[in-house]
Amino acid sequence: MNGAELAAAVRRADVGYQVFAERLEDPIAYEGDHAFHFSTKDNLCSIDFQTRSGSRILEGYRPPFDATAIERLRKAGGLLIGKTNMDEFGFGSFSTNSAIGVPRNPFDLERCCGGSSGGAAAAASLIEDHLAVGVSTGGSISCPASFCGVVGLTPTYGRVSRWGLIDYGTSLDKVGLLSASSAPIRRYLPVISGPDPLDPTSQTQPPLDMSGGIDSVAVPEEMVADLSDDMRDAFQEAVGKLEGMGVEVLKVAMPALRYALPAYYILATAEASTNMARYCGMRYGDIVEDTDLGFNELFSSVRSRGLGSETKRRILLGTFCRMVGLRDRYYIKALQVRQLVIRQYEEAFQGADAVLTPTMPYVAPRFDEIETMTALEAYHADILTVPPNLAGLPHISLPCAYIGGMPAGMQLAAPHWKEGRLLSLAERWESEFQYRIPEGRT
Amino acid sequence: MKIGLEIHIQLPTRTKLFCSCSTSGDEVNSSVCPICLGFPGSRPMLNRRALEMGVSIAKFLNCEITDKVWFSRKTYFYPDLAKNYQITQYETPLGRNGHFMVGDRRIGIWEAHIEEDPGRIKRAGRAGEEVALVDYNRSGVPLVEIVTAPDLTTPEEARAFLSDLLIELRHLVGLSPQDETTVRADGNISVGEERVEIKNINGLRNIERALKFEAKRQSRLLAAGKKIVRETRRFDEELGTTLPSREKEFEEDYGYIGEPDLGTYVIGPMARAMELPETPLARASRLEREHGVAAASARQMVLTSWELADMFEALASRFGGEAATTWTLGPLASHWKELQERHGDRLESNVVPIIEQVCAGTITDAEARMRLDVLAGREAAPAAAPAAEGDLKQLVARLVDSHPEVVKDYRTNPRAANFLIGQVMKETQGRYASKEVSDMIRKELEKRV
Repeated sequence: MNGAELAAAVRRADVGYQVFAERLEDPIAYEGDHAFHFSTKDNLCSIDFQTRSGSRILEGYRPPFDATAIERLRKAGGLLIGKTNMDEFGFGSFSTNSAIGVPRNPFDLERCCGGSSGGAAAAASLIEDHLAVGVSTGGSISCPASFCGVVGLTPTYGRVSRWGLIDYGTSLDKVGLLSASSAPIRRYLPVISGPDPLDPTSQTQPPLDMSGGIDSVAVPEEMVADLSDDMRDAFQEAVGKLEGMGVEVLKVAMPALRYALPAYYILATAEASTNMARYCGMRYGDIVEDTDLGFNELFSSVRSRGLGSETKRRILLGTFCRMVGLRDRYYIKALQVRQLVIRQYEEAFQGADAVLTPTMPYVAPRFDEIETMTALEAYHADILTVPPNLAGLPHISLPCAYIGGMPAGMQLAAPHWKEGRLLSLAERWESEFQYRIPEGRT
Repeated sequence: MKIGLEIHIQLPTRTKLFCSCSTSGDEVNSSVCPICLGFPGSRPMLNRRALEMGVSIAKFLNCEITDKVWFSRKTYFYPDLAKNYQITQYETPLGRNGHFMVGDRRIGIWEAHIEEDPGRIKRAGRAGEEVALVDYNRSGVPLVEIVTAPDLTTPEEARAFLSDLLIELRHLVGLSPQDETTVRADGNISVGEERVEIKNINGLRNIERALKFEAKRQSRLLAAGKKIVRETRRFDEELGTTLPSREKEFEEDYGYIGEPDLGTYVIGPMARAMELPETPLARASRLEREHGVAAASARQMVLTSWELADMFEALASRFGGEAATTWTLGPLASHWKELQERHGDRLESNVVPIIEQVCAGTITDAEARMRLDVLAGREAAPAAAPAAEGDLKQLVARLVDSHPEVVKDYRTNPRAANFLIGQVMKETQGRYASKEVSDMIRKELEKRV
């Protein structure tokens, strides 16, 4: 693709599918010397674009620095073409909780892209040879990868510096990559990985090892029990293909994973409610009409107008879970459950190289279906993606089936720091299974 | 009366607790960065030096050191708090259950931890139209918080405690010179049953004033048969009174959670490996113990100058505590600066021979004083001619006769002679060598025993 073609593809993705919160508009900007092009989710700070994290309260915010991941990709010759749409601050599974724009599924405009890195997955699907930087807290890379039929890799917590990432759940947030196939991820994961003095949690990582593969996978039975019939059949077929490739498939029991979802929503919202506290009108948000108010009233007024309803719900949930008298029952208990989940995975990895599940319990829902979902039903969509995220494990979602024309993914989780294993398997999988290209990419 | 203090002291690091901004920005909002301003996407990095200082303070306060520590977010909304949460330590303070001695009173230390300071609010404009301005230079400056048990019994003792604590910490970690005015404390004070908290008092002097006022207020209420309400008050420095705090009257719920960005730190081995320097008041107690120096003299010595106390120890080890005290606090202390400037490292070797001779009785006290004056670069006072031995003998005999109680004491306590030695030295104004005087007095006393 030359510059003009790329500019046209980006424009088509944006106009037709609302992929971008902001993008390079001028076709000239796509010309010139660059080794590759990439986009990032709108919650990664960049100097040359607004960074709003899908929120009205950050309208007009231009960070004075680049996120480390962006800086490293630029240094490697990458052209940042834009910031992709997302749920406000990452709070959602369908990218519908956005104050900026709701991306449309490349395979069906009436359906969502998944979330919260919905725009990133759509960009990866719609723009040829594109690398989309996403962020996962509880499944925000896997979910949209599955719904949009692309590959989504979420690295181990701490593998990629979070400097410049606008926090959702600080102990859970991971910067990762999405692309139409695994090759670009294999190429650019080493670029964004590695210690960064600006993020202390990135400094204890072992070097990235791209060797190693997967000879056996464990399938936790309780995780595949509640699938719809067509999803179960599709998953079984994919499992059969893996066996055909010589991968040993073991059925295992991992009962602790059932508690991952509630524990995740407690920890993520507790952390989120503190991370959201800074958006109060002192520096972010519109205070034009409120200057006579006392600070408490001013802060409430700015937050009431600037934040969306799902954001408010999560702030309330998270604040509740860390209150005196409730903290032990929710926050502290959730921390214990996280340890339990980590141990459960460690046991599973004694017998298998990875844990395999479908990525999502269903294909991308239609927007009218999403509208009628309760908050709890929406949270339940994350039942399969949350466990590896809660445990901080690297995981990958690979397209493994098409149900009624809509893509569905399978998710493999590996032990901490074993991203290389996942990408080796992805490469093998891609020689056996042909990914489809959506009509929108023409 | 029961008083407990929560003390905040700035740690004298060059840079802030979680970023590399300088702690000494002068122009308003000049020493700030995305981290201490809480920009989205920024995250904290721990200043190791601040952690080490905190650990050394906890160890110095005889705390049980927490082996593994982490940081917590204390969430509350206030305009000077950049992130609307403060990074502090909640479950794992650096140390717990320590103590600090004020004289012979043991004051319990419940805990010591480190945390970041918020910014500073300045009010400007006319009353009624005033605006609050925020200076973030202070945002992220490291503090140590020390929480005492309610073991202090008077406002004066609370001040003495703080003053002594600052003396020790100044030497231990090197506090800023303004520490007595920049120290901040919350005081909990109860005269009767119920306690009242006075929030955020600035400076040693105001802390004592606030506690004194509050003690008086509570005593008056009780005397009038009224009840003391459990409440939070603030101290008005201009009025010198405590007033009900304007903050809302409910217990704040800070909703503490862990700070994931900073991880955990194992400080147990660090604390064990740490060798703390001897602090001034600890040294004063040792001088008292080892050399029989009076408490006030020992304190005066270490507070005048660390090197003066070194000189004392050098003299005491050769000539005994009594002579060393006399010469150190006398002629040496009065021209200490000049002596140090003129002689530097050779001072001790220049002073020792003089004291040696006076103690041996080969020169008089006046001669010794004169020589020390010369060392200090001062014009030597003409030495009075030593008087005949006969005069001294007569004087001693007369004094011993006129103090039969000393003679009586001397039978059981040889130190009773010191009183007479002092009298003679005073009357003769150092014209005789002190060794000569004390020998003669002891001889006279022995005759009468």
